[in-house]
Amino acid sequence: MDERFDVIVIGAGHAGCEAASAAARLGAETALVTLNLDLIGQMSCNPAVGGIAKGHVVREIDALGGIMGRVIDRTGIQFRLLNRSRGPAVRSPRAQADRALYRTEMRRVLEATPNLHLRQGVVVDLIVENNRVVGVELQDSRRFAAKSVVIATGTFLNGVIHTGDKTFSAGRAGEPASIELAESLRRHGFPVGRLKTGTPPRLDGRTIDWDAFTPQDEDTEAVPFSFATEKLGRDKIKCYIGYTTQEVHDAIRGNLHRSPLYSGKIQGVGPRYCPSIEDKVVKFGEKNRHQLFLEPEGTSTNEVYLNGFSTSLPSDLQQELLNLIEGFHDVKIIRPGYAIEYDFVDPRELSPTMATTRMSGLYFAGQINGTTGYEEAACQGFLAGVNAAFSVQGRESFLLGRGEAYIGVLADDLIRHGVDEPYRLFTSRAESRLTLRHDNADERLMEKGREIGLIGDLDWERFSTKRDRIAQLRNALDNTRLKRSSPEYAAVSGLLGTDLGDSITLANLSVRSGVSQEMIAKLLPTELQTDLIASELESAMADSLYSGYVAKQNAANERVNKHDSLKVPSTYRFSNISGLSNEMIERLERARPQTFGQVRTISGLTPAAIATVLVHLTAESAHAN
Amino acid sequence: MAMSETIIVLATPNGRSGIGVVRLSGENSLRIVRNLVGDGSFDPKARNSTLRSILDPRSNESIDTALITYFKAPNSFTGEDVVELSCHGSPVLLRQVLDVCLSLGARMAEPGEFSLRAVANGRIDLAEAEAIRDLIDSQTTASARQAVRQMRGELSKRLQPLKDDLLNVIVVLESALEFVEDDLPEAQLDEVNAKLRDVAAEAKRLADTFCAGHLIREGIKVAIVGRPNVGKSSLFNYLLGHERAIVTDIAGTTRDQLNERLDIDGVPVSLIDTAGLREAEDLVESIGVERSKAAMADADVVIVLLDASVQTSDDDRQILQDASEMNFLVALNKIDKVPSTDVDHMIAAKDSHFAPIRNRLVPISAKTGEGIDELKRRLIDPTAADQILSSGLLITDARHHDLLIRTCAEIESSIEGISAGISEEIVLVGLHNALKFLGEITGETTTEDMLTRVFSTFCIGK
Repeated sequence: MDERFDVIVIGAGHAGCEAASAAARLGAETALVTLNLDLIGQMSCNPAVGGIAKGHVVREIDALGGIMGRVIDRTGIQFRLLNRSRGPAVRSPRAQADRALYRTEMRRVLEATPNLHLRQGVVVDLIVENNRVVGVELQDSRRFAAKSVVIATGTFLNGVIHTGDKTFSAGRAGEPASIELAESLRRHGFPVGRLKTGTPPRLDGRTIDWDAFTPQDEDTEAVPFSFATEKLGRDKIKCYIGYTTQEVHDAIRGNLHRSPLYSGKIQGVGPRYCPSIEDKVVKFGEKNRHQLFLEPEGTSTNEVYLNGFSTSLPSDLQQELLNLIEGFHDVKIIRPGYAIEYDFVDPRELSPTMATTRMSGLYFAGQINGTTGYEEAACQGFLAGVNAAFSVQGRESFLLGRGEAYIGVLADDLIRHGVDEPYRLFTSRAESRLTLRHDNADERLMEKGREIGLIGDLDWERFSTKRDRIAQLRNALDNTRLKRSSPEYAAVSGLLGTDLGDSITLANLSVRSGVSQEMIAKLLPTELQTDLIASELESAMADSLYSGYVAKQNAANERVNKHDSLKVPSTYRFSNISGLSNEMIERLERARPQTFGQVRTISGLTPAAIATVLVHLTAESAHAN
Repeated sequence: MAMSETIIVLATPNGRSGIGVVRLSGENSLRIVRNLVGDGSFDPKARNSTLRSILDPRSNESIDTALITYFKAPNSFTGEDVVELSCHGSPVLLRQVLDVCLSLGARMAEPGEFSLRAVANGRIDLAEAEAIRDLIDSQTTASARQAVRQMRGELSKRLQPLKDDLLNVIVVLESALEFVEDDLPEAQLDEVNAKLRDVAAEAKRLADTFCAGHLIREGIKVAIVGRPNVGKSSLFNYLLGHERAIVTDIAGTTRDQLNERLDIDGVPVSLIDTAGLREAEDLVESIGVERSKAAMADADVVIVLLDASVQTSDDDRQILQDASEMNFLVALNKIDKVPSTDVDHMIAAKDSHFAPIRNRLVPISAKTGEGIDELKRRLIDPTAADQILSSGLLITDARHHDLLIRTCAEIESSIEGISAGISEEIVLVGLHNALKFLGEITGETTTEDMLTRVFSTFCIGK
């Protein structure tokens, strides 16, 4: 062995960076092995972080002690809080990143991390002894020993790029695919499938007639991702919105035979929520225009990312199509869009720590597990990194439940249901949507982050103060009453156009329509008004807003879930249930549910099959008793 | 309760009757029957009936002659091998048949276990299983017809479009908050509300049939009330067609309630005869009076029985007063003793108080039987409500009724929320709950189902 580490992380994308950072900061000697040190933290697709549910995850990673939130706060060039007009549970931060700055800042952060060792090289094989991974072998024949290995290789495993009828092996445009490692995984028996994703063309900003597009500014009150960030200070950019035209759609329809998606060359399944422009035109033929976002890639480049125009059509056709659009008549493509197919491993073999059950010491994170998105990747990297270090140190596994965090929802979904397409988070995937808010991610998770050992004293102190202040506010909302006798009563009641009774708590008042946060702020006890922080009051008020609905939601869930705790005996064979079709049996056997609650949510099971299993399990448990 | 065991049940009600059916289900059914007929090569043709004498193999004594019908797996109700033995209806004999089968390795079925096996083997879904339970429990033909209709999955079929519409609304609202950056059509809240109102109304309409459905399944509870000696027991007996209550001329003879079930045009009716309602003269009778009042409160229909041949008394008027808050009919008894049986004449002769309740008056004679058919017809009126005719589907299961009511309540509060401009994620709590409640009847809608519809409805994705 050339070098010895506790943890080796393969791949320095968003999963790999979190994994390596967490493991190293937990005291594990960690190597981060990447094909190209200059592309650490590369955003392969759009230059943005966050969005609904995804922004929640970044906040959760940050609360646990991860790095993505801090890095984007330092390198973001436009910040917005999405869904501001809706309730706090579905608001979520999103930021445009300066792609190059994000990379360099991520590398700087990693290089400043003790115990973390960057190594450039191509991992071609795992070194395995007695079904336990003990190290990795590089193309240049270096061998590194490790007690735990995290694979976070993104789209590189057997990556194949498609543009038009051209097909070539690549991990990303301009970078080689990882073929030997992919073969090694197949050789070790991991169940491998193919997925597909795509990316749009990048344009030369100097060739765009910007006046033809509608500018989109950042929020006046931008919200940072990290709880540690006090102020966002970078230069700001504008994004622009435009639309495709019927003429473009007709041209696409006339050239579908040149799309590898429609000629049958691409076998992998792509994400339905991120369709290529050819998919949009074919599947939603009645729409006469599709939205385009012009996202500048940074403050020191002319490159513009054309979000909404993901395509695998031939490069020359991409150029022709764009030139049909008002404002793009003279546009020049810098990098053409393309589709990429890659290997993923069925995540139903994972444990919730992101450890594989097939080989000890081996962890998977990110696209290898069938997910898509930087944020989804990062949180898996975090889970894998922490648990890889913990396993080396003999510490107990770190897990998150569905009710605790979106990260828990994601991990559970992957392991339980596997994926049929690249998996992305949505708020509707969480049963506890009203409580898993972005604003309370620190309240939910920072204590866990502290226990893990990734929250420093300074952050912990700041958080403790904040938590106490919010508790104080909550207390004040619940116990401060606006009385008929008070001077503000008439004004408030008049403004709302309704009588409020003899007295009303601020909590109850705050959920009335027409009551603003400012109004509540003015009614708080004066000692709380003096150094009030708006976001803290917002959090406290959100709890009041949702409390009744959370109870209602839980009651209904419990009703439906009354059989959920019914155990599936570990030796149970679903194939013995005569009323089930082979397909149902296969889905059940693959998912290995431990309770009826898990059976109920296995995707693709018919209601009749679920009822059948319930009856058998009921019978089984009655028999056991 | 392992599924492989062969179970047995007495499929006809316990008691003396013409025929008693014993039903076996499980892989040993045929083996047991072979033993029972003493013929190891007995090989009945599926779905055919064979007459055989059955015997106790332990003693080789003949027990009975039975019609044996074999349903071969999986083409049986449970999906397993099923054998039905139609024996003579003597309870002693049937007990013997059961005992022999048990000694041959069968086991008594748990309540509902036949249905359970049918569900387990994918023969029927849960809603159908519940309908079959109704069928088994049903005592009369009308409720049997209703149960059969539900069994065919009609309830699930009827609820499917509701679930669909509800899911479409959920898709619109979920997409609005999940894909805020996408160029989605603005959610038309008035359209959303209109759609939700339709769903709630249809759920309510189905739920409302529960009243009639419930009556058909549980039967109508009818209490006959009236002051002593107006002929309550005579009417009771006449309706039943046999002497049940003790009829005497001494007022207050009926101290206890009597309950009997009868069948009027296929609707089960539970008849409650009550002790005479009047100021009690002794302690025992006063207990009876209390019970009468309780029976009245519990009844679906109250028959206030009056003596048409005498003037109405204060007692009569008090009873009418008590009954006026319920669903009641007034039977004017003893019309064989009055000069005119014309209702209007009688009203004119008796009491002006009767004019407002004219449509509730039924002249009868418990002695001659005159007017009794009309009284019967009026009793089962509530089960022939318009809603039954129009919907053709009755909710007979209290659980289904409860779920439909909850569905309505959730949707209605969501409509309010939408109108008040409450944010989607809150409105959606109620709508997802409603979907869960409907799903408890027809099967669950998963997040993946919902997302699939989102992506096929809207062009999502930058």
